[in-house]
Amino acid sequence: MIKVLLLSSLLISFTAFADSGSRLVASGGVTGFEGAAGGGITPWAFIGGYTSKEEVSYSANIQYLSLNDYRLTTAGAGFSLFDRVEVSLQRQRLDISSGLTSNVFALLTEGAISNANSATVEQDIVGAKVKVFGDGVFAQDSWLPQIAIGAQYKKNRDFDSSLSLPDGSVPLPETGVPLLLGAKDDSGTDVYLSATKLWLGTPSGYNLLTNLTARYTKANVFGLLGFGAEGDDSAKLEWEGSLALLISPTTAIGTEFRTQTNRLGGLAEEDTVVDAFIAYFPNKSLSITAAYVDLGNLPLQESSSGFYLTVNGHF
Amino acid sequence: MIKTARVRALITIFLACVLSGCTSIPKQSLYEEIGGHKTLNTIYGVAITRIYTDPVIGHYFKGVPKKHLRDQLVLQTCELIGGPCEYDGKTMLESHTGLNIKEREFYILVEYVQGAMRDVGLTYQQENRILKKLAPIKYQTVNL
Repeated sequence: MIKVLLLSSLLISFTAFADSGSRLVASGGVTGFEGAAGGGITPWAFIGGYTSKEEVSYSANIQYLSLNDYRLTTAGAGFSLFDRVEVSLQRQRLDISSGLTSNVFALLTEGAISNANSATVEQDIVGAKVKVFGDGVFAQDSWLPQIAIGAQYKKNRDFDSSLSLPDGSVPLPETGVPLLLGAKDDSGTDVYLSATKLWLGTPSGYNLLTNLTARYTKANVFGLLGFGAEGDDSAKLEWEGSLALLISPTTAIGTEFRTQTNRLGGLAEEDTVVDAFIAYFPNKSLSITAAYVDLGNLPLQESSSGFYLTVNGHF
Repeated sequence: MIKTARVRALITIFLACVLSGCTSIPKQSLYEEIGGHKTLNTIYGVAITRIYTDPVIGHYFKGVPKKHLRDQLVLQTCELIGGPCEYDGKTMLESHTGLNIKEREFYILVEYVQGAMRDVGLTYQQENRILKKLAPIKYQTVNL
């Protein structure tokens, strides 16, 4: 947590001197938890930052999501080229409390082992997004959205990192959390298509952003629980959406959803993710977003919802 | 019989109301709402002063009389936001062709106009509604 705060204050101080591009403030969205610009849980067709066709900008972000016995911390950096291409690198770390891992062992051993160490699942995501056509902000005389396509290569770093007990022993060698829950692969690539449109002056003078994203993926819980399952290794089409209302030149409120396919089943049943957020854009270099996120079921935690905070810098 | 006619009339009124967005009947235009010519003239007066001294885009306006540009912009915006004006000057396309204006430069200008609207006291909602009408001008000015 201290690390997070330090990094955030660094970001804030950097961005005070930044020149992040000339596009309208807030039109780059925020950096989502997978590194793509848009909402918190879904990419938009808009290119991150504020670059015009003649500009390049860089971004950095740090994000924290607290879900009771799970905590997700993610951080990353990216760059945007000429309002056309966005490239990002994101590291995610899911911390799982020892209470939960202990319960896993208790279940597996019918109570013989009831105490385990906390565990961590890390994932790296390399993302790229390309604007295909449209201008979701300035083509206000047309209903056509801006369209972008993107890909996210995800590599789970703890697919086979064994869970350990307090005495240092490893009852299940080379079996990480994803593998234990039945995932098949440690990496996968999501591909997505996003359609995004900002409706200036609508409703009643405010600006409304609408986004719909279709994602083709094998990921279980975004890849944190691996990719595919022994019984179901096919990629599926998932739907994601965002609605955001700019209630002032610097503040947006909104809500999002993201469907997931329930491949692993059992403990790792997946639900549709929803969130409600407020994002603050004091200037083009900085944004701070707070959200309430509900992931539904996570292994051994049927109701997983909590607070999300992210700080983005553009320079 | 009378009853049916009355119900029918009510339904017609209701439908008309829904279809027209249920706004009060003599609808005030955005132009009138913000204070007409006087307000637009002030907005562009403020914006143009800043635009002419901008280090990046100021040079495009060398030799263009401020008053002429101001009148043209007021007239054009008036027409776009429902005022009783008819713009008869050169089209945006004509006056910007060959200048090779960069997207970045257009965005800088937009921010000056936005800033002027704010400084003159327009509400955020009025600003957005005007911006919606002005936004497509991007395609008659940039990269030509």
